[in-house]
Amino acid sequence: MRSIGQSVPRLEGHAKVTGSVEYIHHLRLPGMLYGKIHRSALAHARIVSIDASAALALDGVHAVITIQDVLSLVPNPYYGPAFHDQPILAHGKVRHVGEPVAVALAVDPHIAEQAADLIHVEYEPLDAVFDEIEAARPDAPIIHDVLKPAGMFTDLKHLGGRSGTNVALDARVRRGDIAKGFAEADRIFEHTFRTGKVIHATFEPMVSLAEKQGDGITIHTASQSPSFVRAEVSRLLGWAENRVRVRTAFLGGGFGAKLYIKLEALVAVCALLTGKPVRIGLSMDEQFYTITKHGATVRIKTGVTDDGRMIAREVETYWNGGAYADIGPRVTQKSGFTAAGPYDIEHVALDNYAVYTNHPPAGALRGFGISQLVWAYERQADIIAREMGIDPLAFRRKNVLREGRPHATGTVVTDMEIDAVLDLLEKRMDWRRPFDRGTGVIRRGRGLAIGLKACISPTTSVATVLLYGDGSCALHCGTVDMGQASDTAMAQIVSEVLGIQTQSIRVVRPDTDVTPYDMATLGSRSTFHMGNAVRAAAEDVLAQVFHIAATSLDTEVSSLECVDAEVVSSRGARMTLREIMLARFAMQAGTIVGTGSFAPHYKKPDPATGQSPDVTPFWMLGGAGAEIEVDTETGRIEVTKLVNVADVGRALNPASVDRQLTGAAIMQVGFTLFEEMVFSDGQVVNASLADYKIPGFLDVPRDISAGYVEVPHRNGPYGAKGVGETGVFSPSPAIANALYDALGVIVHDLPLTPERVLRAIRQAENRPLGDE
Amino acid sequence: MKNFELVEPATIDEAVALLDPDDAGVRAIAGGTALMLMMKARLFEPVRLVSLRRVNGALRGVRENAGGGLTVGAMTTLTELERSPKIAAALPVMSRALHTLSNVRIRNVATLGGHLAHGDPHMDLPPILLTLGARVRAVSRRGERWIDIADLFVGYYQVAVARDELITEIDVPAQPAGVHTWYAKFAALSADDWPSVGVAVWYRTDGERIAEARVAVSAATEMPLRLAGAERALVGNAPTPQTFAAAADVAAEAIEPVADIRGTAAYKREMVRVHTRRALAQALHTGRAAR
Ligand SMILES: Cc1cc2nc3c(=O)[nH]c(=O)nc-3n(C[C@H](O)[C@H](O)[C@H](O)COP(=O)(O)OP(=O)(O)OC[C@H]3O[C@@H](n4cnc5c(N)ncnc54)[C@H](O)[C@@H]3O)c2cc1C
Repeated sequence: MRSIGQSVPRLEGHAKVTGSVEYIHHLRLPGMLYGKIHRSALAHARIVSIDASAALALDGVHAVITIQDVLSLVPNPYYGPAFHDQPILAHGKVRHVGEPVAVALAVDPHIAEQAADLIHVEYEPLDAVFDEIEAARPDAPIIHDVLKPAGMFTDLKHLGGRSGTNVALDARVRRGDIAKGFAEADRIFEHTFRTGKVIHATFEPMVSLAEKQGDGITIHTASQSPSFVRAEVSRLLGWAENRVRVRTAFLGGGFGAKLYIKLEALVAVCALLTGKPVRIGLSMDEQFYTITKHGATVRIKTGVTDDGRMIAREVETYWNGGAYADIGPRVTQKSGFTAAGPYDIEHVALDNYAVYTNHPPAGALRGFGISQLVWAYERQADIIAREMGIDPLAFRRKNVLREGRPHATGTVVTDMEIDAVLDLLEKRMDWRRPFDRGTGVIRRGRGLAIGLKACISPTTSVATVLLYGDGSCALHCGTVDMGQASDTAMAQIVSEVLGIQTQSIRVVRPDTDVTPYDMATLGSRSTFHMGNAVRAAAEDVLAQVFHIAATSLDTEVSSLECVDAEVVSSRGARMTLREIMLARFAMQAGTIVGTGSFAPHYKKPDPATGQSPDVTPFWMLGGAGAEIEVDTETGRIEVTKLVNVADVGRALNPASVDRQLTGAAIMQVGFTLFEEMVFSDGQVVNASLADYKIPGFLDVPRDISAGYVEVPHRNGPYGAKGVGETGVFSPSPAIANALYDALGVIVHDLPLTPERVLRAIRQAENRPLGDE
Repeated sequence: MKNFELVEPATIDEAVALLDPDDAGVRAIAGGTALMLMMKARLFEPVRLVSLRRVNGALRGVRENAGGGLTVGAMTTLTELERSPKIAAALPVMSRALHTLSNVRIRNVATLGGHLAHGDPHMDLPPILLTLGARVRAVSRRGERWIDIADLFVGYYQVAVARDELITEIDVPAQPAGVHTWYAKFAALSADDWPSVGVAVWYRTDGERIAEARVAVSAATEMPLRLAGAERALVGNAPTPQTFAAAADVAAEAIEPVADIRGTAAYKREMVRVHTRRALAQALHTGRAAR
């Protein structure tokens, strides 16, 4: 049976379109209370008092929980994946507008909402700081008294106890001699690029329920990281992990929003304090105050020789982490070290700063910080190319990293073919064809860009494959299918090994009581890590099956093959999986259990230089080409063509690969052209989908397509690499490069709203649009 | 959300009897697309909602009226308007605008009555109806009256319909043969967004000259309004690019733009200029079929 490389239809497709799959959003537990969060109205303030009397007087209100209640159960109520800096409810002060201060619990969601409104909090305002550059200055208002790195990451330990700063992490990379590099350069280019804050906008907002069961607790949650939730909640409660059960269902989107702890610690505490099941589900507007993508300021300086080779690059990036670290320090470091791009540059200095501000916390959003960096280095690449009179594609070909060359971190690049990606882009964009830029009000331009990501490391995945008494098969794996078709891909791997139809394999939803550990569904890691674990687990089952068959058929294991749910010997003897179970257990019953786990090799970078011989399990490369039309009187850009190309290692399921690349690109088109959270004193002015617009069908470029290059990765399952994020890397600079191609104007900030573009056009024409 | 009363009267008389001139918490609800947003944002906390769902029959549909124009029931959905052959034939400017007014899901439930009573300055149909010279019938226990569309919008989210009144129908007069009309919607964010700026134009030529003209803007100002100065700049002149550009300049200078997340005041002024000029030029290509 060949499953790998086939566009097998989604296992859950039919159930999804007929409305019968489970979402936690729909779950109701008998006797449960609904929680509604009372949120801070101020960006930075000390809490003087909380008065819940009016809320408690309301009929149907069961309790109002504040940090005082939490402390009775959890003496140290701070959580987070990188820093233990986020309290379950505001503790003494609030650090951003929308921070949870108290929870009203009631028998009805509307009563809970009304009660939450009636909670009165008195504040003593503190100075707030919102901009990442200002917040990093020594005289900025300090948001956290001391830094509290989590124990989990040894490389953050040195930050513990540091005080008087909003810089949560500074991570650096040094290669060669940067001063010498700039001294030898013929031309030096320096720019500052910025990206604003945007959100995931998952259609199923965050939702968690908890219920006490015996001496344990069950948390039902729309989470991308059930294993992390279990570990963190048991740490907070001081319980063994086996007392905490975390289960999830299909997710109505994740994109990085539903990682680590979001509502889980809060519902767990509420359920334990009240003894009743508790549900907290956010509304769409509350998501804007829960987690965002990082805004970033990137200062990039590049030294180039007259023949167009980049020899020195210095990049300084300030990441606006918001009020709590979440996974921001990891974004800062693990993406930050790719800030020099997919280029072979001799002298490199990269500095990354994770900065606390009084905005809502920033964390992972599809791409994990990569698109902010690609925005800077690929925008600058086109400026350099034009100034030096070199074709943008030729400029990239001159400078890209090739097999066997060291990346800025010192890790030698393998299993990645940038040239093949560039060749495919050239072909799909018909790059050699003369291009008509127009002369009237509507001008046309085209551009391309490439971006590099290093898959985050080190992480672990464990999987179990079970063969039941009747020969049917189930897969227990903690990868959360949130729309990316991971269930189907994992089942295809089992199918490939065991020769069982993909469609007939049961994939069990993540449940920490059942499914083994998985670090999380994030960072395009699942296909590679979990895929390897699943393959190993299936091979473990196969080895047991062959052993039984060899004994029964009196033959050598090496002569056996598994085809169509049957073991076949080279001499033609056959045994179905059903018969094998009967032979093993002497009746049509029993279970054969296979396990597999995977953790890639990894070498921690040297903290002083960021150098490591083994910094990532695999490199991801994505390129985009865009053709646009720009209305020179309004500044409005229409993307007429968008091509996305990725090096995917091996496409396990080509249709899924295509949809992942295209879906990611459409998401990035929104971030490129109009999505942006607008703030006023820390308040999100457009915190609703009415005013924060995401792309609809009419915004999808007329001509959009995906292409991929298959360079099998030596360590990937069947050569595969992750692909969930690759499509977001490059569309933004590709579109802005097309604008540059059309009109020669430079816009430094995302998004490219019509007004921003028109202002740049008018500036270039020396008749700037004023302010009123 | 606090508990509130939801009533579903069967007739217009019952409906108006349930309204309350003294209580801001009592309101009619039609499609609910605007009202529910306000309730979710807790800008409006209802005491009683008077649903017009069951009054539907009397208030729904497009029919020809005695004056040769069209009368639209207040409960007619935007989708019904979009697909109405009568509207397409008599008021093509309106059919066209409806294709990009929000999205199919909203249009399927939103009504023309709700669209006008809401008084939101960022809407597509008010400037068009201003140029078409529509009027609105308002009914209350006190009787009924016609409100000229030019008098309907009185401020930011404010309309001349009283708390105890219901809009029952909208009258659009017969349009002169060969009239040139166009609506330019400019969306700054997603394609199906509310307008950042909307400009409706309407003019009639007599021989080589423009004999009568109407220009109305939306989304750029405190409320949708006609721009008399721009209209004057058109009348008596030939419909040339020069005339259109001059009128567009007058339009842009006449308004007091209100900034929002879809544009600063300076940008909105500029967009009014560009889109007035474009709408006037586009309109020239319309209206011939009717001659
Ligand atoms: C996502 C979204 C996108 C949108 N995009 C656009 C857009 O691009 N362009 C655009 O023009 N508009 C847009 N809108 C606005 C939309 O046109 C209005 O919400 C809709 O027309 C209101 O009609 P309704 O029947 O739903 O009114 P309702 O919400 O039911 O009522 C609105 C108001 O009118 C009152 N009311 C309703 N009917 C009557 C009546 N017969 N008599 C007196 N008072 C009445 C109600 O009391 C309430 O105050 C958008 C709305 C949404 C939600």
